[in-house]
Amino acid sequence: MNRPWLAAVSLAPLLGATQTLLQASAIALCSLLVIGLHRLCMTPLRKVLDGSAKLFASVLLAALLVTCLELGLRAWALPLSLALAPYPALIAVQCLLFEFALGNNARWRTAAMTLAGFASLCIAMGLTRQLLGEFANLRLASLLPGALMLLGLLLALYNRVRQRRAPSRRQGKL
Amino acid sequence: MNTSSIRTALLLLTLIVLAVGGTVLWQQFTAPRITEAEQQLKAQRWLSVLPEQHYDNQPLQHPLRLGAATLDHSRLLAGYLATLKGQPRAVVLHSQTQGYGGPLDLLIAIDEGGRLIGVKVLQQQETPGLGGKLVEPGNTWLQGFVGSSRQSIADTAWALKRDSGQFDQLAGATVTSRAVIQATHDALRYFDEHRQQLLAGGADE
Repeated sequence: MNRPWLAAVSLAPLLGATQTLLQASAIALCSLLVIGLHRLCMTPLRKVLDGSAKLFASVLLAALLVTCLELGLRAWALPLSLALAPYPALIAVQCLLFEFALGNNARWRTAAMTLAGFASLCIAMGLTRQLLGEFANLRLASLLPGALMLLGLLLALYNRVRQRRAPSRRQGKL
Repeated sequence: MNTSSIRTALLLLTLIVLAVGGTVLWQQFTAPRITEAEQQLKAQRWLSVLPEQHYDNQPLQHPLRLGAATLDHSRLLAGYLATLKGQPRAVVLHSQTQGYGGPLDLLIAIDEGGRLIGVKVLQQQETPGLGGKLVEPGNTWLQGFVGSSRQSIADTAWALKRDSGQFDQLAGATVTSRAVIQATHDALRYFDEHRQQLLAGGADE
């Protein structure tokens, strides 16, 4: 379990729950909130638990947080919760991978950077998909295959911009 | 068993109790709110088929008893009565028919004179871009039926132009268009045949 897995799991909400800017912002916010809380709760537990006990606690916490999030969404934002469908529940898997991909020693800076990157990518996807779908009348942008192409273009653009500042061997890495 | 493993077990046990307890409490707290939100959403979706000036009651609180609800091409699943100042003004029928991709659920609103005042798709599994155009925002094909009745259009003309009727079809979606027209016609005929009972609050047979 490491970074490629985290990227693969993050791909699902990035493609599936970013049809409009509202949905994208909602899923980004929910992910930030739940993953942040999960890490916060795990910080004291990480020192006293080890091995399978830590994994168990992590799963339990992720399940608790995601269940509460889903119930809250249903109660106060039912149309949004129906539109986001299974993706809020998937945040639990993201939580677990986040916990184990980033290693045992709590590196808040790395975690925050990764989370911020994920959230801004979500919002950028939502914005471009809604603009292309509604104003440029490009149907493809609101469908899943179009989302995958758009994500590729956005990452390519990011790498192109980054190239000037970062050494080229960092290209394509999270 | 050494002290550290006992401590771990105790800690996990506390965590389980906290997690389960927290979830149950939160569920209890949100349950009434969720029910309310679901009802609101249902009312919003279902009543959007009725023009607002046609009712002042809460039609979803007045379900109709539908007798013999299996029609020629469709099936009526539910019906609701809309009243204005105590007078019955319209009925909303929930009709299910077979579309191209699966069952097609329609809401059909008919006023007290047997005139169609609204058709809306509740659920569909039609091909996106073809039959799915039915539910795309900005599609006005369903609006074309509003105002028609069995008095203004003969029974034989309730069909697509290619079936020698008088209605246009959605481009590339003959099966879907045919299903919608037949279900609408079915519902109008059902209303005409059971008008008295429906407006009185039920159609017992």
